[in-house]
Amino acid sequence: MRRLLFIIPLLLAVLGVSAQERRITGKVTEKGSGVPVIGASVVVQETKKSTATDANGAFTISAENGQTIKVAYLGFESAIYKVSAGQSTINISLKESASNLNEVVVTGYQQERKKDLTGAVSVVEVAELKKVPNNNPIQALQGRVPGMVVYTDGSPSGSNTNVLIRGLSSINGAGNVPLLVIDGVPTKGGMHELNPNDIESIQVLKDASATSIYGSRASAGVIIITTKRAKNGEFQITANARNSYSFYQTRLKMLDAEGYGRAVWQASANDGAPIDSYMTINPDPANKVYVYNFDWAQNGNGYVLNKISLPQYIDPIQKTMRTANTDWFNEISQVGKYQTYDVMVARGTDKGSTVFSLDYTDNDGIVKTTNFRRISARVNTDYKLLNGRLSVGENFTANTTREIEGNTLNAALQALPIIPVHTVDGAGWGGPWGGMNDRQNPVRLLEDNKQNHYNYLRLLGNAFADLEIIKGLRLRTSLGLDYGNYTRRDMQLAYVSGYLNNSDNQVTMNNSNSTKLIWTNTLNYKRTLGKHNFDVIAGSEIFKQNDINFFGRSQGFASEDPNYMYLGAATVLKENGGGAYETRLESYFGKFNYIYNDKYLASATLRYDGSSVFGKNNQFGFFPAFSLGWRLVNENFIKDNFEFVSNLKLRYGWGQTGSQDPIQGYANRTLYQTNYGGGDPTWRVPDGTAYDLSGKGSGALLSGYQLIQRSNDDVKWETTTQSNIGLDFGFLRDNLYGSLDYFVKKTTDMLIKPGYIGVIGEGGYRWLNTSSLENNGLEFLLGYKGKIGSQVNFDISGNIASYRNKITKLPQEVINTYGGNGSTDNILGRSIGSGYGYVADGLFTTQDEVLKSAEQNGKGLGRIRYKDLNGDGRINEKDQTWILNPTPDFAYGLNFNFDYKGFNLTMFFQGVGNQDINVYDVKSQTDFWSINETGSNKGVRLLDAWTPANPGSSIPALTVTDGNFERRFSTYFVENGAYMKLRNVQLGYTFPKSIASKIKASNLSVYVSGQNLFTLKSKSFTGIDPEAAGFGYPIPTMVTTGLKVGF
Amino acid sequence: MKKILSLLIISALYSCKQDFLEVSPKGNLSEAQVQADPEKLVTAAYSSLGNDHYDIPWSLWPYGDVRSGDAYKGGRDEADIQEFYFLEIFKNVRSDIGNFDGQWFQYYVALGRANAALGNLNKLPDSQFKTQRQAEMRFLRGHWYFQLKIMFKYIPYIDENVPTNEYEKISNRALSNDELWEKIAQDFQFAKENLPPAQTEIGRPNKFAATAYLAKTRLYQAYEQDDKHNVTNINTTRLNEVVTLADQVLGSSYGLESDFANNFMLNTENGIESIFAVQHSKDDGSSFGRLNFGDVLGTPQGIGCCDFHKPSQNLANAFKTGTDGLPQFNDYNAADLDLAANTVDPRLNHTVALPGHPWKYDVNNLYQASWNRTPDVYGLYASLKENVQKGQYIQVGPFYANAKNKIIIRYADVLLWKAEALIELGRHNEAVSLINDIRTRAKNSINLLKLGNGNPESNFNVDTYKPGINCNWTQDFARQALRFERRLEFAMEGSRFFDLVRWGIADTYLNSYFAGEKGKRKYLKDGVFTKNRDEYLPIPLNQIRFSHGLYVQNPGYLQ
Repeated sequence: MRRLLFIIPLLLAVLGVSAQERRITGKVTEKGSGVPVIGASVVVQETKKSTATDANGAFTISAENGQTIKVAYLGFESAIYKVSAGQSTINISLKESASNLNEVVVTGYQQERKKDLTGAVSVVEVAELKKVPNNNPIQALQGRVPGMVVYTDGSPSGSNTNVLIRGLSSINGAGNVPLLVIDGVPTKGGMHELNPNDIESIQVLKDASATSIYGSRASAGVIIITTKRAKNGEFQITANARNSYSFYQTRLKMLDAEGYGRAVWQASANDGAPIDSYMTINPDPANKVYVYNFDWAQNGNGYVLNKISLPQYIDPIQKTMRTANTDWFNEISQVGKYQTYDVMVARGTDKGSTVFSLDYTDNDGIVKTTNFRRISARVNTDYKLLNGRLSVGENFTANTTREIEGNTLNAALQALPIIPVHTVDGAGWGGPWGGMNDRQNPVRLLEDNKQNHYNYLRLLGNAFADLEIIKGLRLRTSLGLDYGNYTRRDMQLAYVSGYLNNSDNQVTMNNSNSTKLIWTNTLNYKRTLGKHNFDVIAGSEIFKQNDINFFGRSQGFASEDPNYMYLGAATVLKENGGGAYETRLESYFGKFNYIYNDKYLASATLRYDGSSVFGKNNQFGFFPAFSLGWRLVNENFIKDNFEFVSNLKLRYGWGQTGSQDPIQGYANRTLYQTNYGGGDPTWRVPDGTAYDLSGKGSGALLSGYQLIQRSNDDVKWETTTQSNIGLDFGFLRDNLYGSLDYFVKKTTDMLIKPGYIGVIGEGGYRWLNTSSLENNGLEFLLGYKGKIGSQVNFDISGNIASYRNKITKLPQEVINTYGGNGSTDNILGRSIGSGYGYVADGLFTTQDEVLKSAEQNGKGLGRIRYKDLNGDGRINEKDQTWILNPTPDFAYGLNFNFDYKGFNLTMFFQGVGNQDINVYDVKSQTDFWSINETGSNKGVRLLDAWTPANPGSSIPALTVTDGNFERRFSTYFVENGAYMKLRNVQLGYTFPKSIASKIKASNLSVYVSGQNLFTLKSKSFTGIDPEAAGFGYPIPTMVTTGLKVGF
Repeated sequence: MKKILSLLIISALYSCKQDFLEVSPKGNLSEAQVQADPEKLVTAAYSSLGNDHYDIPWSLWPYGDVRSGDAYKGGRDEADIQEFYFLEIFKNVRSDIGNFDGQWFQYYVALGRANAALGNLNKLPDSQFKTQRQAEMRFLRGHWYFQLKIMFKYIPYIDENVPTNEYEKISNRALSNDELWEKIAQDFQFAKENLPPAQTEIGRPNKFAATAYLAKTRLYQAYEQDDKHNVTNINTTRLNEVVTLADQVLGSSYGLESDFANNFMLNTENGIESIFAVQHSKDDGSSFGRLNFGDVLGTPQGIGCCDFHKPSQNLANAFKTGTDGLPQFNDYNAADLDLAANTVDPRLNHTVALPGHPWKYDVNNLYQASWNRTPDVYGLYASLKENVQKGQYIQVGPFYANAKNKIIIRYADVLLWKAEALIELGRHNEAVSLINDIRTRAKNSINLLKLGNGNPESNFNVDTYKPGINCNWTQDFARQALRFERRLEFAMEGSRFFDLVRWGIADTYLNSYFAGEKGKRKYLKDGVFTKNRDEYLPIPLNQIRFSHGLYVQNPGYLQ
């Protein structure tokens, strides 16, 4: 690196000016319409002088007679004009380019023409993406790329976003995270921290022939993101403003105060012991007071509830909490407001280019107090030296994000409706009293948390130098940095909320930072020899990650002022801690691309990777790949016989990639640690190593060591082998276009730290290479561009993908890892994530059915009957089978785009075919009184549960305890999660240039759009959103308005 | 050009540096570092004594008290930790209940630490230090296996000589019931032989702790069971060993506390009666203190949370005494305790919190009916022994824990084991004085049981057994007296159910308990003890699966 710094000043000295030129003016227009083309680059080829057209499409440039002027603009075919004697004015009209096949795409360490690609690479329409208001551009990729599924929630930051390319390739979550390569810097960090408007292009590399150049971390696919650089001759200022409002799509219907009472009474009546009252609030035997008082009677049909009476106060002695009928969802919800503003200045000359951008985003979520804020800045520059042979530059972005989290959806579901939000004085918090469940007031949780947030600073970028040594031979070196600094302060305020209270205020402060350095050196040689086209690259890369973190906690603050509550201001320092992590990779790679006569394409890749996490025996992995392509369109038998064919290419690729990401640590070591206190015992069993041997009861303790991991020197790379066959086609001047891919992807030696038999005790975990997994699937993309009349242009495109997934090898060590009965009935041959459980066979509706059915603990009227699958007359763990296959039948996206004069209308639908989803989290609280979170509020569906008087219901009878063990995983909790959503509909209008120019703008457009306006889902689905079936942050419906202006 | 080539070379050299990929773990220790200092593994093994949790409690309150009819589960209602409710009524007890698996696993975590320490200690050159630490570790190992044994009966037995990859090949039926007891006894025997009579650090067991635990093991072993848990024989050789071993402890400097209360208060920990105890601590440099988190749910709602482990009406009634100051073996439960009318054993007021009475001897904080969470379901009593005075709790999340030690063996236990052995040996006349020692101490334990005005909390009336005067001391009577005395003395300390199973009377006792108690507590209406099944927990399904079917399920379980 130091050497490079010496070179730069030398090269900066090269400057030159020539004479004998004259001014030439001109105007560039679109062919046909005659509309001026703004911002087209105008270059004198010989002198490299350049300029750009202004708002009227006009330009002025100096040139000599005989020199060539080239005019270029994205989306148009370039025009070349020779300057002839005496001519000072030229008019040039540009023809729209028929095809985007000459578009250059960035693949591994290289650029290739789209038409030369032989791997499965999807180029994302970034403009379409930007129509959707997402903090995280990855979210907007949902449905855009066949074979790529995005899982997300509606949190304001968009940080909880996971991508799956071509199905699960690993049992490990971390092994399924695609590698992001941003301007050449590989990262797995969150995209929500970066400004989406900086993105120039996104390519998704799906198959191994494309990804294996990234070797060790590319098993789950690679997403290549390139940020904007100014084009030669461009000088543009663009600004965007966008405003969205967000709302709940649909909400879970919860019981109100009366309904809750009805449900609890019904549960007791069903058990044969109807209660007269519920929830003692004053237990003094002489003076008892209950929240719920039931007036009921017995009739022929059983028991009937006549009336529920509630007291005026739920704390009748103190009288601070008036009995309420609180809708906790309402109380925690708001209309979200999301605004984002960004501005970008881009300037490019033949000496170099600069892009500078700023972004400000502020997003209030639909849950009160939640907020995400981002300020980011980017500077991308490059300098061309040595007559353009050397370019040095950087891509650099600094981003600060800040988020107030707080998803209290589950708390809002559980809090009892009889509890008021506030005490009668309006200031104190309502909360549980007497025999109520000990769940917190969700509004208090949010309010007391609203000052707590993290601040995250992320610096990402690289500095590079690219030298053309001789024609076609380029040496490039790039030093990349991905740095994150996370600070957080959590103030826990003292509170009283019913009987829940905490008088100790407390502060916890956290800091962690992570530095990832990547140094890449490549040598690239491109050469065309007649019909032969070569492109060879060789390189090396080292990667180093250092993380360090620490935290402190203290208690006892004299004031709860946020300006006061810092660690040092407390009276009691409680705790501190910290740790560090380091990992390194060392890689060598090479790729050879060959094209013959624009018809036959071939490439071969080798990558050799070493990682510090593996044992000495298998530290390095070798990942080869090759691919072949055949551009049939250039064959005469196609050209001659099928004139309508404008593009036809057959591709085949095979390759291997590796994964080491699941291993967070050091698989090759037996590790011990000290664990003095054993952690927070609130929700977990402490596993401390210190003990009061002296019996003093306080003071420093002796502490020992605990085993946390067993070593495995043989642990090695998880390897994914993929083959892909694909066809790209375009007919009728590419108006009808598409592609079809079939792939087989097999992951072997899957890395796993499996559960183990209890007798081993703690620290029995060790990394093993175990099972194998296979995915195969089809991906299909089809689009049509056309015209209605002469004014309306439209483009309709759709994609659909489907894959199947199965475990193909299952060693004994992991036979218990994937469910099943631990022996013969196992996951082998089934999808990863398959669920094993009981078959719910409806409800017992007559005493006769109860008597005649198999022996089943707790069976009875209105209870779920389970199928005796092995026919032994007893319902037990042997009556389980595979009841859930998580792989969707297919996933699809459908995009409509219409242009009429300045108007643009886009509609984007996205959906998933039949898929089994586990709805236990929600259904256990909407359909059952006592199997989950007992005593909490429940869903309104309970009121329709089975009783002798309501014999048609399929919802099990309410009962006080789960004697029938209905919380067991059964088909009752498996539902069809098929859905189709209208992700986005947008109407935009671009003002005519004549109007735009009145405000000195070169272009001006406005739009209004709506997101997630409607969802179609399976009739049998009982929950809210099949896309987010649990208690994640709800995905909202949004309405957006925006303005774009360019100067 | 040259410079550029050298750049390439430098980069290649840098990445080729041999040790580039050698990265040391941060903040962890290697095997070699650990082996050099086995004392640290010893300390970690002790630490396991405090590594329990409210749903995996070392005190065994759900298993020893709730299953015995001494305690109601408590909490908000039946569904609040309903697995423990299923234990309470012996219904729906399934092998896939996570609490059992968790309990099983935590025992083996503790055993793993003891075995790891032993494995490394064995490699040291012989020394007194080595032998003593080995003895301590074998004591701990014996303790954990004892607990596992009384919970699950048939367990895989693994010592420090078994390599880890052999673990899963050892069946829970590799050893018979008696062979398992023998293994446990051998550890205590070794500990007894190699531990000093006194330890400078009181948290470590001494010779007498080992002797006492050996006596306990031999007593359990004496009651021989068949495969279906029927007690088929009481082995007199074992009983004689119990007497001999108990005498060795009774002859030591240990003794009974002058006041029963001293065993259950913070400021009198590690007293004369505490032979072995779990040492809890606070303000000890850990974030929350090494608190007794296993018993945290027993804190009444009036103090914070969560009002589990509630003395049953039946238990409270058992403390009633007749005019002769003796317990009412046969009709104690005929009428419910009425403090205005009945005389009681003072241990009632030490064990059961009664509305209107001082909470833990604090006349300024009266335990009140309003401290109960759901009095309609679980009544108005609370458990006192594991609790502390109001200002002595430490709040952790929603829970209120304390740092009081938990006694595992106290001198009173040794007295009564000896008495039990003597009675079963037909030497019941020698047992009477032992039981009377306990009763005399109970009688004298009234100094702290006073109301604010100085009056006694209740009408106390306790007397000793005086054969021929207030009783006819036959073997049967003595057995009844011994069993009743154990109940009163150790009520709510987690041992009652295991006594019932040892004696082989769990089914008759509990079914008669249900018959009476279900009239008072509606939720007990389905309670029924199934003989030849409910004496032990099911082997966790998870473990049967991980053993690839090698482990054999205990008899009688449907699932």
